[in-house]
Amino acid sequence: MKPIVNPETDRDADELVGRILAAEEGLIPSSGFLAATMARVRDEAACPKPIPFPWLRALPGIVLAVAVLCWCGFELVRVGLANAQEISLTQLHLTAAAGRALEPAGWVAAALAASMLSWLFARRLAGRSGLL
Amino acid sequence: MHAAISAEEDLADVERVLSGDVQAFEGIVRRWQGPLVNMAWRYSRDRGRAEEMAQEAFLRAWRGLAGWRRESSFSTWLFALAANVFRSELQRFPAVNVPLEDAVEPAGPATQHDGLAGRQSDEAVRRAVLALPKRYREPVVLYYFHEMDVAAAARTMGLPEGTVKARLARGRELLRKRFPQLNEQSVPAFSSTLRTKKEVLQ
Repeated sequence: MKPIVNPETDRDADELVGRILAAEEGLIPSSGFLAATMARVRDEAACPKPIPFPWLRALPGIVLAVAVLCWCGFELVRVGLANAQEISLTQLHLTAAAGRALEPAGWVAAALAASMLSWLFARRLAGRSGLL
Repeated sequence: MHAAISAEEDLADVERVLSGDVQAFEGIVRRWQGPLVNMAWRYSRDRGRAEEMAQEAFLRAWRGLAGWRRESSFSTWLFALAANVFRSELQRFPAVNVPLEDAVEPAGPATQHDGLAGRQSDEAVRRAVLALPKRYREPVVLYYFHEMDVAAAARTMGLPEGTVKARLARGRELLRKRFPQLNEQSVPAFSSTLRTKKEVLQ
């Protein structure tokens, strides 16, 4: 169901809100406000100015760093573009030697998992007995 | 009110401060402490916080005085800077956490003529402004702070006047929806108890 819109009433309500918000009495700053603000300003004025960053001294280093970064980026793009033509989209196969080397990895992972489990079990028992 | 504050005095004090006379800043604080504390009060509705925020705004003004380009008036620059300070302060620590839907209901029409109840319901509407979404809250706050001057509010926010008008309308609409009883009450019934700031000053 659509709400009933009455522009006349809405205008009256807006005017009422406006009157309420406009009729707000001004807040007078406390007597110490001026003194407190000026004290902070004077404190700030008394502080020595921060030492400016030595841009002139740092400039050679910055220029060098930017140059090195640019050169690295350029080389990366150049080498990448050269190698992109040689990449074939055939599926990669592990060589037989690499496959043999990975065989014991499963056993190593299983051993690590068993160690972890036994450590957790021991920790749990120790926790219950109040040792930990 | 703000226009009455002498632009020449501001300019002279700024020149003196920039030439190294810290004490000259006191004139600026003296002239603008009222408007800035009031503006901060409208943003936070917390007296202590309003003074803290206004003080921070003066300190930033002092630091950035050299950055005031004379294209706009000193007051425009100061209000824009203060609005930025208040906005970021309230982003760090919001003033109200009450969503608009949970804002306190004003008293019903029958009790509106009672002075205390009337003041309480007015305060409920003012507090509800702080519960408006941020993009609508600031235009409403600044529009009434600048005594319903859209151009001044727009300058303070650094937004086009059209944008401010649109956000103002949407803000009012949200307030109307939140307080449907406002639609039921007629303005003349309030005119005896509510007077604008200008009328009070006159």
